[in-house]
Amino acid sequence: MTHTATFNNQEFVLHPLGGMFWVEKSLLLISDVHLGKVNHFRKFGAAVPRQAIHKNFLLLDQIVADFSPFQICFLGDLFHSSLNKEWELFENWVAKTPAEIILVSGNHDIISPILFEKLNIEIYLEWILDDFLLTHHPEERDGLFNFCGHIHPAVKLKGFGRQNLRLSCFFKTKNQLILPAFGEFTGTYTLKPTKKDEVYAIVEDQVVKV
Amino acid sequence: MLNCIPLEQSKLLHIAENWFHEQNWKPFPFQKQTWNAFLEGKHGLLNAPTGSGKTYALWFPIVLNYINTNPDYKIKHKKGLKAIWITPLRALSQEIKQSAERITQDLGTQMTVGIRTGDTSTKERAKQRANMPDLLITTPESLQLLLSSKGYDKTFKHCSAIVVDEWHELLGTKRGVQMELGLSRLKTICSTLRIWGISATIGNLEQAREVLLGPTGSALKNSILIKAKLNKKITVKSIIPKQMETFPWRGHLGLHLLEDVIPIINKSKTTLLFTNTRSQCEIWFQKILEKHPEYAGEIAMHHGSINKETRLWVEQAIRNESLKAVVCTSSLDLGVDFAPVETVVQIGGPKGVARFLQRAGRSGHRPGKESVIYFLPTHAMELIEASAMQKAVLNSAVEDRIPYLNSYDVLIQYLTTLAVSDGFIPEEIYPEIKQTFCYQALSQEQWQWLLNFLVMGSQSLKTYDEYKKVEIEDDGRFKVNNRAIAMRHRFQIGTIVGDANLTVRYQKGGYIGTIEESFISKLVPGDVFTFAGRNLEFIRIKGMSAQVRNSSKRTNKVPSWMGGRLSFSAKMSELLRQELYTAELEPKAQSIEIASLAPMFKKQREESIVPQPNQFLIETFKSDDGYHHIFYPFEGRAIHEGMSSLLAYRISLLTPITCSLAFNDYGFELLSDKEIDIQEVLDNNLFTPEYMLSDLQKSLNSNEMARRKFRDIAVISGMVFTGYPEKGVKMKHLQSSSQLLFDVFKDFEDDNLLFQQAFTETYEHQLEEGRLRMALERIAKQKVVWKKCQNHTPFSFPIITDRLREKLSNEKLADRIKRMTKILTR
Repeated sequence: MTHTATFNNQEFVLHPLGGMFWVEKSLLLISDVHLGKVNHFRKFGAAVPRQAIHKNFLLLDQIVADFSPFQICFLGDLFHSSLNKEWELFENWVAKTPAEIILVSGNHDIISPILFEKLNIEIYLEWILDDFLLTHHPEERDGLFNFCGHIHPAVKLKGFGRQNLRLSCFFKTKNQLILPAFGEFTGTYTLKPTKKDEVYAIVEDQVVKV
Repeated sequence: MLNCIPLEQSKLLHIAENWFHEQNWKPFPFQKQTWNAFLEGKHGLLNAPTGSGKTYALWFPIVLNYINTNPDYKIKHKKGLKAIWITPLRALSQEIKQSAERITQDLGTQMTVGIRTGDTSTKERAKQRANMPDLLITTPESLQLLLSSKGYDKTFKHCSAIVVDEWHELLGTKRGVQMELGLSRLKTICSTLRIWGISATIGNLEQAREVLLGPTGSALKNSILIKAKLNKKITVKSIIPKQMETFPWRGHLGLHLLEDVIPIINKSKTTLLFTNTRSQCEIWFQKILEKHPEYAGEIAMHHGSINKETRLWVEQAIRNESLKAVVCTSSLDLGVDFAPVETVVQIGGPKGVARFLQRAGRSGHRPGKESVIYFLPTHAMELIEASAMQKAVLNSAVEDRIPYLNSYDVLIQYLTTLAVSDGFIPEEIYPEIKQTFCYQALSQEQWQWLLNFLVMGSQSLKTYDEYKKVEIEDDGRFKVNNRAIAMRHRFQIGTIVGDANLTVRYQKGGYIGTIEESFISKLVPGDVFTFAGRNLEFIRIKGMSAQVRNSSKRTNKVPSWMGGRLSFSAKMSELLRQELYTAELEPKAQSIEIASLAPMFKKQREESIVPQPNQFLIETFKSDDGYHHIFYPFEGRAIHEGMSSLLAYRISLLTPITCSLAFNDYGFELLSDKEIDIQEVLDNNLFTPEYMLSDLQKSLNSNEMARRKFRDIAVISGMVFTGYPEKGVKMKHLQSSSQLLFDVFKDFEDDNLLFQQAFTETYEHQLEEGRLRMALERIAKQKVVWKKCQNHTPFSFPIITDRLREKLSNEKLADRIKRMTKILTR
């Protein structure tokens, strides 16, 4: 179950897999997939099960199917490290996905831009779209609302009977929304919201505003 | 030296006895027995306490054996490794070296003695590689490291003896398994190896011998168990608070009794104060100095996170009697002979009989002297423990140490170690491994699985992969050819107890000690904390170290180390129950401790009862925190952990519920935001031992526990790299968290042996399945007494204030969130 929210008079659908769909632009925003991480570990002798590689692509397929966007924009850290075999799987995925793909590059994106160009993927350091600023690292700029990733935000909830939970989330401050990490096999960083912040937590297959 | 006629055994023994005579000593019967057995070529296990002269029992025959095979030993020195002495704590190695050198020098041999541990400098190590000392003192980890160097078989070829000191400390740990594997290899490559273990008294000494020597091989048959049988008088004295009413129920530091300790310290030459955790140790040290500045320079602190120089200094200072008192942790439990120690104070429950005896034995360290140990309770309930402990000492009721079985992680590490050095041929190694206790039941299929895992990282044979670790060479040899992998593996060997530790340093680089990352991560720059007896201001984290500067600010922040939580043994909890039951007796029939607790029992009886042997107590009440349901099996922390998880799961079958669990050695609590109907729990017979294991497996908590076990498994088996010392950041891209790995295995490869091992370990070692079943059977025979209270009781208070909690839920997450959202932490 998704959650629809309005930022700067535009409509956005927050998806429980961790992506966000910009309705007016038909643009799907996804952050921190960290493809290639599984193979990167295996290459260095850490035996992460290989099947985990495919999981990321299955999830990508699922979210793309849910929205059928014109454009998909990755907000950085699409690949975890240098080139490895998962690139081939990514090529296949790009070929079969009927949408224009844009990458706003992040700190982990060290794969040559030429390879992305071959797949017709444009790379930006940042992307200003209307009054929105799309970046990998969180940024503040006057008059612009910032969408970003990098943090892998999570939030801690407490309840009666000393219960607590940690959940991956979309984290909104006044002029900024930090997207959760989309990838399987990525960690999270717990943020502490202030009164003004809005938190959209991912609870199994739902996005819940808390 | 074929033309030399060996000296007769009696002549050899004469050399040893002469030496004892020269020191004005007389060898104990157990020492002579050991010399004889060793020289006859036997393997064995020597059961002797610390400070009984056990080092001489084994160093002597080793040296005598050399003399025997090299009659012109005084003029000619035959080089090469002759014997290995394994010690679990590197702090002990100096002491062992000194006693060895005394013999080798006094007997006029030219034998050299060397130490090789994590503290040994690279220069020294390189020197040893070129020229091994005759007698090598080392740790289980460093022995493994030797097995990972090229041509190790030549190094060990003429080694005639290996002695595993403090074997009881290793048994029941994975380091013990590491040792079993190391021995299995040495048995093959050394032609005339004798294997000896030294162990303090434990419940399963016979089994300890079997694990050491291997259950099936010839070594066990040709072996002997020697018991020192030194009658040592141990006296336990409890420090009983004068005012029982104001006694904090859960102070857990015991500082209110500080003034009672002062006369004890003043009375004796040197006093050791044992605490259960390093943080408690830090605090006690601080407070004594604060209240009694006159002790400055006369008291010191000793725990495992303090740097080596300081620790060695403290140990030396104890020996030359320049210290009045030392506040310490288990770091001083073992080995080292501290003759000047006259008195020992145990602060807080020691949680086990063996440990308590060991600590008591630290005082009056000379044979024949009485050992006195004072017991300082940190909360009222511990006085019951003290009373039980005295009974235990009387009956010397000591625990078993349960050895591990099928630790695949350690085996993977070991096989990689062999692959790093000269490589291994599976057909040669498999029979060796099958002879160990740990892997006696390892099947061919499992063996094949492990080999596949090493080479391919999993079971399927797809070529599409970049996994690289161990490769198979043309001759069938399994080998690591990548130098980076080999180097990473060597670093990993020492981390069998894998905690994320940071070093604490001054900005200029002075090293102070190590601290758990979880503590540092809670600090912000500018925070002041107490560590190693100083107040330090946290500046920043750089690499794998935390930079600090001295501060004059006062603080109450003290680092905690997770290792501090111990559980009661089965023996101990039974004694404890028996003591508790005496609460109903006439004061005359009670021990002083129990009698002194009368005010607390009275308070307990106001709203509840003090249970009797046929009673099982349940208390319930409501507070601002939620609905408390407290159960009192008195079985020890580990059992309560399993039982609470089991019960919570069974309750959740009746009604959707979320509760958090807390437990201590006396009972456990289910805290929930909804009331649990206890009558329904009883009517449905939820304490039944039937279906216990399957229920336990289904309870969510076992998943959580296994997840924690998996952390070590992942590190040991090399799936998670913990980083190079000092170089942490650079390798960060490889430091995946074991948590993520666990989830990935759960989703994609749940038949992975290492993943399954996490569960086996949880059931067998953490929850002690067998004991849990017996506890449930016992409860089934008891009459349940359910007390609805208005408030917490003396019994429940220590439990409900415990902040370290487990949680369990079968409610739909979204339902819970909706209730929780109102109390979002802002």
